[in-house]
Parts: sequence; structure tokens; C-alpha cells
Amino acid sequence: MSLRVKQRKGVDFFDALLIECCSPFLKASTFVINTIQGVFQNYVFLVHLQEENTLLKQRIGELQKEIGELRELALAKERIQNLLQFREKISPSMIAAEVIGQDPSSWFKSVTINKGEKDGVRKGMAVISPEGVIGQILKTGPYHSIVLLITDYNSAVDSIVQRTRAKTIVEGKGENRCQLKYLLRAEEVIVGDIVVTAGLSGNFPKGLMVGEIRKVEKAGQGIFQYAELVPSVDLTKLEEVLIIKESSLPLQEEKAKNVKKAIGIQKRK
Amino acid sequence: MRRIILPLFLGIFFITLQTTLFTPFSIQRIRPDIVLILTLYLGFSYPMISGGILAFFLGYLMDLFSGNPFGLYTFSRVFIFCVIRFFKDRFYLEGFLSQFLFAFSFALVEGFLILILLNTLTPNPPGQLFPLLFTVLLPQSFFTGLITPALFSLFSRRLFPLFNRHGAR
Repeated sequence: MSLRVKQRKGVDFFDALLIECCSPFLKASTFVINTIQGVFQNYVFLVHLQEENTLLKQRIGELQKEIGELRELALAKERIQNLLQFREKISPSMIAAEVIGQDPSSWFKSVTINKGEKDGVRKGMAVISPEGVIGQILKTGPYHSIVLLITDYNSAVDSIVQRTRAKTIVEGKGENRCQLKYLLRAEEVIVGDIVVTAGLSGNFPKGLMVGEIRKVEKAGQGIFQYAELVPSVDLTKLEEVLIIKESSLPLQEEKAKNVKKAIGIQKRK
Repeated sequence: MRRIILPLFLGIFFITLQTTLFTPFSIQRIRPDIVLILTLYLGFSYPMISGGILAFFLGYLMDLFSGNPFGLYTFSRVFIFCVIRFFKDRFYLEGFLSQFLFAFSFALVEGFLILILLNTLTPNPPGQLFPLLFTVLLPQSFFTGLITPALFSLFSRRLFPLFNRHGAR
């Protein structure tokens, strides 16, 4: 080997020249091949990555949907628990219902619920929620009813201002607002006062929260002052409601009848 | 019969959409009255008796679900139907702008009519509803007008030819 190397000693310059001449081409060729190879490999890799990405996105979507459903279930459970607790506290003769639709027009304020005459709902019954008064039953069908909200201009609820005990009538004003009618100018009512039901009409039990006074105006003349109220219940986000059955009188009558029957049976014995 | 039943079902479907899908508070001010658009279309395409009955039922359904005790929509929808029916040859409804203006103006007319009737019929006139003319009625009428060309096109090209297929025989 050493001999042969020695023999080619004279052509070093020529070899070097060739190497220097060819190497740029080799370099370019290698670069092109590497680039193509790299692009191809990356592309194939990206294809797999894209598939994987799609699968992962799908999975995330499924999990998010599941989380959303679970959250919704938890919230519904919480709301129903609140409703049940409130029902037990206020009156056991209440019907729970779900809001299934709202009014189709902008002038009137009403909601449709999924309980009707077959469930014991009657016209004029009070509709409430744990937060306060919602409205009253306006029309009934066998399985559905229409509730007139307290914000409808046709609605009127006998009320009192909790702090001053001033009597007033809460009338609907549309747009999630009510106004206090026949509130005497002499009454010292301020913004932030709470208004509750007076319990005079018979439909609403006494002391249920109607809303909070947001505006008081004593300008002008007359014996009444103007006050605006925001309902305690957000009527734009109603989902579940409670309907108060007619006064407990029929129940008491039934109880009295049962007592009489029991006495009669004992006497016969 | 098909000519009456199918548009009636379409009206019920539209009311369902209006009481459920279009009710979120965020879009309440701009939600279009698609039942009014259907009534407007009936004025052009239906005869007096059958169209009048349909307009009456559509108005009645609106009254029923809105909790309105006076039957204002029953009156206003039949009134609008009759007006269109009587003057239908005088309306030019080719193109987007004319259809938009037509629906926009009738939505405004109905709003005014309802307010006037409310003030006439109720013992304590609800004066507080007048500001709603600007905050609710104007934007709502605008959006009702805006979607009218699309719905008119849907009615004339797809739905009503389907409803009239058997009626023509």
C-alpha cells in the first residue's frame, strides 16, 4: 500500500483540483436529496401528526361535552334542591314546573310552563321561585299553562315596602322593570328598599320578595310619588318555577272531613 | 285542505322558533317576527277566505302565547292581511330593497296599531310602552325587513309550490 501511495505522489495536484471541482456538485446534490428526503419524511410525519391531532381534538371535544353535561346536571340538581327546600319551607302544596317557552312578541311578558290543569294548575295561581315572585297563571291547558310575568303591563301585585310598611301596587313596565303605583308622597322610600307581597289578594302569601327599588322621584305635584323596581328574579333566565296551589282552605276542609269520618267510625265501634 | 293545514303547521313551527330559539335576552331587541313575514306572504298568495282564516289563526296563536288578553294580534294580523289583499297589485316586490321596505313598514304599522289599541282598550293606558317604539320596535322591524327577502324566496320557490301541488289539481 505504501508503495502505491508513493507511486501516485505526482498527481496530488490533479486529484485536488478534481475534488474541488466536483465537491460543489456533490454538496448541491446531497443538499437537494436531503431536502427532498426531509420534506417527504416531515410530510409523512405531519400526516400522522394531523391524524393524531384530529383524534385528540375529537377526544377533547367528547370530554368537554361530557364535562358540560355533568356541570349542567350539577347545576340542575342544585336548583332543584333549592326549589325543594324552599317548597318545604313555604308551603308543601306547591307544583314544580319547567319553563318551556317565552312570549313571541316584544310588547307582552309571559312564559309557557309544562304543567296544566291535569297537574292541578288553575288560573290566577301565584308563580314564584326561591328568589321571589315571578307572576301568575293567565291561561291553562290540560298539560301546559301560560304565566303572566310581573313585568307585563297587565300585571299588578299588592305589595308593601318592607322597611316602611308603605302599601303599594307593583305594576309591570316591560323590559324587566316594574313601577310602584299609589305610593303616597308622604312615605319615605329610598333607593335600595325591598318590596314584598302584602298577601291581600289571596294568591300570593305575605312576605315574598318582589324586588328592590332602584329609582324614586318626588318631582311634580299630586299625592303619589313615582318609584321604579327591579324584580328580585331575573325573568329573562327562568328555567324552573313553583306554582302555589289555591289557599290551604280546601285542605283544611278535607282534614276536617277526615276527622269527622274517623270520629263516626269510632262511634259505630 | 292541504293548502290551509300545511301553512298552519308552518306558522306553528315559526311560533315555536320565536318562543324558543329567538328568546335569549341578548337578541330580544333584534329578533325578527317571522310569523308576520308569513302573514305578509299570505296576503299576496292566498285568497280572501282561506288566507284570512290562516292570518286569524296565526294572530290568535301569537295572542295565546304572549299572554295578551285583548286579541290584539288576532286583529292586527287579519287587518294587515286584508290591507295587502286589497292593495296587492299596487305593491312592487321585486328585489331586496322593495321587500325589505315592505316588511319594515308593515312591522312598524303593526307596532303603532298595537300601541294605539292598548291605549284605547286599557283602563290605565300603559304610557310607559312608548319608549319601546325606539328601543325595541325600530330594531325589530329593521331585522324583520332584513330577513324578509330570504324567507319570501324560500316560500315562493320551495314551500308554497309544495303546499299548492295538490290544491292545483
